[in-house]
Amino acid sequence: MASKFWTQGGSDTEEEETDIEDEIENGGAGETTAAAAGSRYLQTNASDSDDSDGQKRVVRSAKDKRFEEMASTVDQMKNAMKINDWVSLQESFDKINKQLEKVMRVTESDRVPNLYIKCLVMLEDFLAEALANKEAKKKMSSSNHKALNAMKQKLKKNNKQYEELINKYRENPESEEEKFEDEDEDEDEDESGSELEDPSQIAAESSDEDDEGEDVDDDDADGAWEKKLSKKEKLMDREFKKDPSEITWDTVNKKFKEVVAARGRKGTGKFEQVEQLTFLTKVAKTPAQKLEILFSVISAQFDVNPGLSGHMPINVWKKCVQNMLVILDILVQYPNIVVDDMVEPDENETQKGADYDGTIRVWGNLVAFLERIDNEFFKSLQCIDPHTREYVERLRDEPLFLVLAQNVQEYLERIGDLKSAAKVALRRVELVYYKPQEVYDAMRQLAVLSEDGEKDGDETKVEETRGTSAFVVTPELVSRKLTFPENSRALMDILVTLIYKSGDERTKARAMLCDIYHHALFDEFSIARDLLLMSHLQDTIQHMDVSTQILFNRAMAQVGLCAFRVGLIAEGHGCLSELYSGGRVKELLAQGVSQSRYHEKTPEQERLERRRQMPYHMHINLELLEAVHLICAMLLEVPNMAANSLDAKRKVISKTFRRLLEVSERQPFTGPPENVRDHVMAATRALCKGDFQKAFDVINSLDVWKLLRNRESVLEMLKAKIKEEALRTYLFTYCSSYDTLGLDQLTKMFDLSDAQIHSIVSKMLVNEELHASWDQPTRCIIFHDVEYSRLQALAFQLTEKLSILAESNERAVEARFGGGGLDLPLRRRDNQEYAAGTSGGGGGRWPDLSYNQGRQGSSGRAAYTGGGRPLALGQASRDRSSQSRGTGGYSGRAGSGMRGYQMDASARMVSLSRGVRG
Amino acid sequence: MATYDLTPRIGPNLDRHLVFPLLEFLQERQLYPDEQILKAKIELLNKTNMVDYAMDIHKSLYHTDDVPQDMVERRVEVVARLKALEDAAAPLVTFLQNPNAVQELRADKQYNLQMLNDRYQIGPDQIEALYQYAKFQFECGNYSGAADYLYQYRALCTNSERSLSALWGKLAAEILMQNWDIALEELNRLKEIIDSKSFSSPLNQVQSRIWLMHWSLFIFFNHDNGRTQIIDLFNQDKYLNAIQTSAPHLLRYLATAFIVNKRRRPQFKEFIKVIQQDQCSYKDPITEFLACVYVNYEFDGAQKKMKECEEVILNDPFLGKRVEEGNFSTVPLKDEFLENARLFIFETYCRIHQRIDMGVLFEKLNLNYEEGERWIVNLIRNSKLDAKIDSKTGTVIMEPNQPNVYEQLIDHTKALQGRTYKLVGQLLEHAQAQPAR
Repeated sequence: MASKFWTQGGSDTEEEETDIEDEIENGGAGETTAAAAGSRYLQTNASDSDDSDGQKRVVRSAKDKRFEEMASTVDQMKNAMKINDWVSLQESFDKINKQLEKVMRVTESDRVPNLYIKCLVMLEDFLAEALANKEAKKKMSSSNHKALNAMKQKLKKNNKQYEELINKYRENPESEEEKFEDEDEDEDEDESGSELEDPSQIAAESSDEDDEGEDVDDDDADGAWEKKLSKKEKLMDREFKKDPSEITWDTVNKKFKEVVAARGRKGTGKFEQVEQLTFLTKVAKTPAQKLEILFSVISAQFDVNPGLSGHMPINVWKKCVQNMLVILDILVQYPNIVVDDMVEPDENETQKGADYDGTIRVWGNLVAFLERIDNEFFKSLQCIDPHTREYVERLRDEPLFLVLAQNVQEYLERIGDLKSAAKVALRRVELVYYKPQEVYDAMRQLAVLSEDGEKDGDETKVEETRGTSAFVVTPELVSRKLTFPENSRALMDILVTLIYKSGDERTKARAMLCDIYHHALFDEFSIARDLLLMSHLQDTIQHMDVSTQILFNRAMAQVGLCAFRVGLIAEGHGCLSELYSGGRVKELLAQGVSQSRYHEKTPEQERLERRRQMPYHMHINLELLEAVHLICAMLLEVPNMAANSLDAKRKVISKTFRRLLEVSERQPFTGPPENVRDHVMAATRALCKGDFQKAFDVINSLDVWKLLRNRESVLEMLKAKIKEEALRTYLFTYCSSYDTLGLDQLTKMFDLSDAQIHSIVSKMLVNEELHASWDQPTRCIIFHDVEYSRLQALAFQLTEKLSILAESNERAVEARFGGGGLDLPLRRRDNQEYAAGTSGGGGGRWPDLSYNQGRQGSSGRAAYTGGGRPLALGQASRDRSSQSRGTGGYSGRAGSGMRGYQMDASARMVSLSRGVRG
Repeated sequence: MATYDLTPRIGPNLDRHLVFPLLEFLQERQLYPDEQILKAKIELLNKTNMVDYAMDIHKSLYHTDDVPQDMVERRVEVVARLKALEDAAAPLVTFLQNPNAVQELRADKQYNLQMLNDRYQIGPDQIEALYQYAKFQFECGNYSGAADYLYQYRALCTNSERSLSALWGKLAAEILMQNWDIALEELNRLKEIIDSKSFSSPLNQVQSRIWLMHWSLFIFFNHDNGRTQIIDLFNQDKYLNAIQTSAPHLLRYLATAFIVNKRRRPQFKEFIKVIQQDQCSYKDPITEFLACVYVNYEFDGAQKKMKECEEVILNDPFLGKRVEEGNFSTVPLKDEFLENARLFIFETYCRIHQRIDMGVLFEKLNLNYEEGERWIVNLIRNSKLDAKIDSKTGTVIMEPNQPNVYEQLIDHTKALQGRTYKLVGQLLEHAQAQPAR
């Protein structure tokens, strides 16, 4: 039943979602056309002539197919109209909108096909008719009525974009229809007979022409000019018709202002704007002006991006990076030009020529642009399917960005803007921190390779610029090369030190988390732990933004994995248990959207969440994480359960694990293990009996281990741990059955050396987990079975009952008067302390647990009964090892004090979820 | 044996002059070639004004009577500067040397300054000159003079920063003069300032603490009462944190102090945890010994470590202090350490055993049979050990220490009475309050 309900819910949201998608699509139709133009531009760039017949044929067949599809959809719509079925009409409308997009892509035209316009007109008419007919409306079924209303809204919104075309169509439907046929036949004709002044189309044309102009040599330049102007008189001012040398600063400036003013206005093609501005950079008179225009170009390129969820087209992105590099070139060449976004610069500031002495202020913000570029890169990786080649190709662009970031950072450092430099450094850190050494090496190699490859490309590019005879020639001053240290640690250290010195709080916190992650990745647990504790990040993390919280969770997960790898089981469990306590690992790590059964997400939330996702290559393998978490829990919990077999509820280390165990025990049959969980459960069953070999074999058969770098040593460690815990479990479970137990027998059973067994057992004895003692001459453990006589046992029972009686009396009084509240909890805590002291020796049992328990303690899980004592201990020692030590030590390393960080480990999870669920 | 030498790690945290005693000790122990140490000494002296001493060392190092020209020049320079400073500080010095005049000074600093200015024409410049002069005296190795001047300077100084460095200077001078009692006073004064003062940055504060702890080593291991005080100081949270972050090698001294000091059990347990936590950042035989006994329960390992500890103690400038008794010298700390360490092992060993073969036990404790038996008998007699010796089998048998059932029962029920009384009290109180209302 539940499933039915949920599926319904799901479809509901889906519908809503599609609605929104449609809106986006519709809203962004202009952009898509522009994008289509972009691709065309690219293609023409690649091959100068696209007129070869063979190519065309291929294109056409695909085009035909699309048109046919569209036509059939239109037919469907007609049918639906006949029977007045608005629901199916609505569906068809959505479909046709999608098809429209495809058609546009295939035809590479920017014109909306007439078939579509025709269909819109038809729909509009029919809608008006239906609305006018009130009686018919009343008769409609509710779903139909709903669909009608929805359709009304949609159509209104959609048709706004095509208003012009629709009106034109209404004026002379016949000719349009003909033209539609024509268009189908031959595109060129359409182009030549361009009565239609669709701006976007012209943009495409102009861009086309632009290319041609670029390709033509100097001699032909004038001709190209003429040609261009004939086509876009409206767009380009007459002034430019003159000989290039006559173009003055003023004309360029005027034109520039004009173009910029058009930004965001209706009917301004975004791509076209980029083109115009790019052209203007070539005719810019002074370096400052060129700079100014370049900034606008980049802004315009950012505008190309359709909507928030989509990413910037990759080719535009690449151009954007190139433009940034050119900006840097200019800035390096003319150190007197200052980029600033705080002051509104003088109108004519950019008039000052290259030989001007004083500082020239140009509006712009390098860091913001860089961050935007990085965000777009990140977004593109989010959107692209990670299993495709495209993704890999996209990843290869990373060095490109790193080069840019490096250069920007160098520039900023040179002009002394360390705060911004720190921000840029953080971007670089965030691209490096998750890479293991192998990946880092691969990236370095790639950078070297692509350099060689790019050399040819660079040459042609240089020629190109020469060809267009830009007025301000900027030589490539900034190196296009990556300089990487051998070791990613070295790189991290350089960057992180810079950030700690001059970054703001958020930058520092993020850098710190990246640093922790990186240390953990390289198996340096103690450093990572110290950094984490000293920075006090866990205390303030819930006040930070979600993306930083995700980073924190990732760092925690990685620290947990690291602890496991170096054999610190308890620490590992401490780090990971919290991640798994809510069953929302995916969400917490931003590695996929998890469906919550109890809480439905609104599409808005879902979209937000999707926007936070980590790109695939940054993922922490979830299976490995789960395996590590469960194994840690198993190693801690199994002996614990054996020790407290009588009152299982008393001390629970891992609730998640207990729950899983219960579930698996309830199963009537246990099949061979399939997933990670099954494996660990099978191992647990073996371990409960003290069969370490079987437990290890089962765990060894997991295939996630191949993801570990030092697999052999980890498994070796794991085996040793399993043996130890098996021994402990065995002793706990069967101590009542033995009077004495020989050391030799134990060595044989558990394949451990005498010294190891002696050490383990001694530890248990000292902590009073086991009531026994060694008999040295015979090498035996002698168990002291504390057996009470019947009278004594009864006496104990009696005292117990007495205390229960007293307690219930107190509770009664308390309930009545409410006055006893104060002493009761106090006493209860005493009891717990006592219990903890006797049952487990408190914090002494795993003495190094203090750190984890400290975290648990702070996480407000004090609700565990019997947890009182270890928590208190842990807290105390955590305070010691972090409080003031933190400030000093951290700053000692980092060179600047980062104080006042106070946070809580689990609260951050909560708050993250709060963020998600609004 | 130079592996466990901490001089390179301690040195940077000390004053130049304080390093000399360490180098002297190393020279005596012959851990390093003489030449190296002499060179190190010259290096040290380069920045100080003890040029004569440097010349002597130079002579003995190169076995010549010539001294390099720059040293001679430096000597001339130093003498000239000394003269100049002496002149500058002369008015104040003469004033201070006149007992009648000094009696006019009161506790009120402002008044004093005013008075000096009015009647003796001694202004801030002269006072500053006194400080410089004292510093110079210290650099020249005239510690007692420096200490006196600094003491007087502190009485007159108003600048807190300066006063602090004067205090450091005084402490160093007292240490070098081996006035342990006074040095201890100075140490406590300094500690108060460091802890109370809102330092410019926590980093600074931590650094000061580290210095303080390093300097205090001289005092604590020479003062009679030092071994308890070192625990008091080092085991404070703030100081322990500083140790853990910046100077984990100080754990050695704290560990030693704990082992030698029997009465610090509760703190000791906490300390074991610290040792365990910091094993990755610092370890030497002494901390490893503790880890063996209290963390891993490896008694063979502990025994091995104990032997190494002996070496470490002998070679440590602070721990290995010698006491001359008649013709032979002993290291009192070493014997004490070994005795206590043995007791530690034995205690832990007894806790987990029911029957122990004495031969094996004594082997673990580095004792021979006779000695060991006497030792155990003594322990039993002093009722430190609840055990009996079975001399036929040569074993010690522990008395089982089961918790007494009756005691347990009494424990369980003891609280009930009080609780009931309280309950009744509450009831009555409430009942009385009711009619009143």
